[in-house]
Amino acid sequence: MQLTEMLSLIVKGFWETLYMTLGSTLVAYAIGLPLGLLLILTDPQGLKPMPVFNRVLGVVINLLRSVPFIILLVWVMPVTRAIMGTTIGSKATLSPLTIAAAPFIARMVESSAREVDRGVIEAALSMGASPRQILLRVILPEAKPSLITGGAIALTTILGYSAMAGIVGGGGLGAIAINYGYYRSNSQIMLIMVILLVLIVQIFQEVGSRIAHRTDRRIREKD
Amino acid sequence: MAKPIIELKGITKIFGTGSTAVTALKDVDLTIYEGEIFGVIGLSGAGKSTLVRCINLLEKPTAGTVIVNGRELTALSEKDLRLERRSIGMIFQGFNLLMQKTVLDNVCFPLLLAGTPRKEARKKAEKLLDRVGLSDKTDAYPAQLSGGQCQRVAIARALSTDPKVLLCDEATSALDPTTTLSILDLLKELNRELNVTVVIITHEMKVVEAVCHRVAILADNKIEELGTVEEIFRQPKSLAARQLIVPGSQSPARETFGAGRFLRITFDGRERTDKPLVAQMVLHTGAPVSIVFADTRSLNGRLYGQMILQLPEDETIIENMLGFLRQAEVSFEEVI
Repeated sequence: MQLTEMLSLIVKGFWETLYMTLGSTLVAYAIGLPLGLLLILTDPQGLKPMPVFNRVLGVVINLLRSVPFIILLVWVMPVTRAIMGTTIGSKATLSPLTIAAAPFIARMVESSAREVDRGVIEAALSMGASPRQILLRVILPEAKPSLITGGAIALTTILGYSAMAGIVGGGGLGAIAINYGYYRSNSQIMLIMVILLVLIVQIFQEVGSRIAHRTDRRIREKD
Repeated sequence: MAKPIIELKGITKIFGTGSTAVTALKDVDLTIYEGEIFGVIGLSGAGKSTLVRCINLLEKPTAGTVIVNGRELTALSEKDLRLERRSIGMIFQGFNLLMQKTVLDNVCFPLLLAGTPRKEARKKAEKLLDRVGLSDKTDAYPAQLSGGQCQRVAIARALSTDPKVLLCDEATSALDPTTTLSILDLLKELNRELNVTVVIITHEMKVVEAVCHRVAILADNKIEELGTVEEIFRQPKSLAARQLIVPGSQSPARETFGAGRFLRITFDGRERTDKPLVAQMVLHTGAPVSIVFADTRSLNGRLYGQMILQLPEDETIIENMLGFLRQAEVSFEEVI
């Protein structure tokens, strides 16, 4: 393979990976964040206890989380066709990626929200805050650093899932690694892809940690 | 006295059900009047935190009626209760400030929740922060403040909605003695200036002594005794009150004194403080004694507490001393 050909392949793969990862993470947060807050709200010890609903929601989330991504990818094809109009290509992987990521994100959000000091919530209750105000104006802002850290973890996990997109004809760095590196035994391409993926994960993680640290006001500022 | 502002009638609180049920309050009646500083004191587990949480219904009583400011809170809907809570401020042992918000935003918070315009809330918050002596800390975050400063922010925050009542749940328990006194002074000033009724929950008698007008002693999940602070201090009737007021219930272990013979003298209020008992004993017997431990206090001229003396080696002097103490009619025993 010529160098220019390889380069354009890698650049295309890089953008496809970013598109799949960021796109599905964004949609998954739109679903997972409210779900996570709903788990906290309806907890038996929560602001609006609904034990049965909470239990059912928890089981559904666990069920979705326990299906291996590679199986989910094939399973949800009818859904993908209905939403995206196609079952092949990078665009088609957005729906299975989102379905896999949303429950995972819901649990991450739930765990971040649980870290918020109960005393602060009690103080807000004593001021006459409604459950809605407590969720939006106490829990979310107070959990912000933890939510950002969780976001970085979610992003890197979804990046890993997106490498399997090649199975349904999706693109991205993972697909290149499998199609060229594995099937055509091009160890050079394989190595480059792995290094690129490692670099992207590192960048996501580092940027996420830094933002989380910088926005956390619990840390005393040094003069 | 003035009109009642907080009325608790037949408050019972049971946590859990069946065999694991724990009773935190048993049929408690309590009336607190407008403008007073009322103390609720008790040892841990007496139910005092539950009692204060029943006033603003952070804990829903299992039975009983809560009336604050003329409104029966126990009969209100969730929505109306939230509105009513704005007129009941609360501060906590752990301050419970929003850690990701500045001092100013913390004080603005209850106002913004109530729908006050931002500009107006800011103005009010600045004024309150100035009043509690933190006008230079408006842009700081709670993590940058000391405990005493955090509690001042919490007080400013609790007062931002002009409440009629301020509930203080062990508000000084996490603070050192000097800071505790400065916070108590601030509460006293605010009580006078704003005529806000202050309810103080504490396990420290010195807190009650420093600021409260009346005090209720909580023991075994009910009110054991209630009266003005002077009354209770002058004549504690219940065992719980005496335990809290009279020091010396704990003394160091015998081993820490070393070799020799030791005598414990217990003062139970029969002795007057102006009578120099130990000095008289020394003069009477002509032999000095060493005071190895003392924990006493005077209440209205009466002496309470205990003192441990090291006895001289001479047996006849010891007999002489014991005879003197017997005659003085104080209770004493040898520490073994």
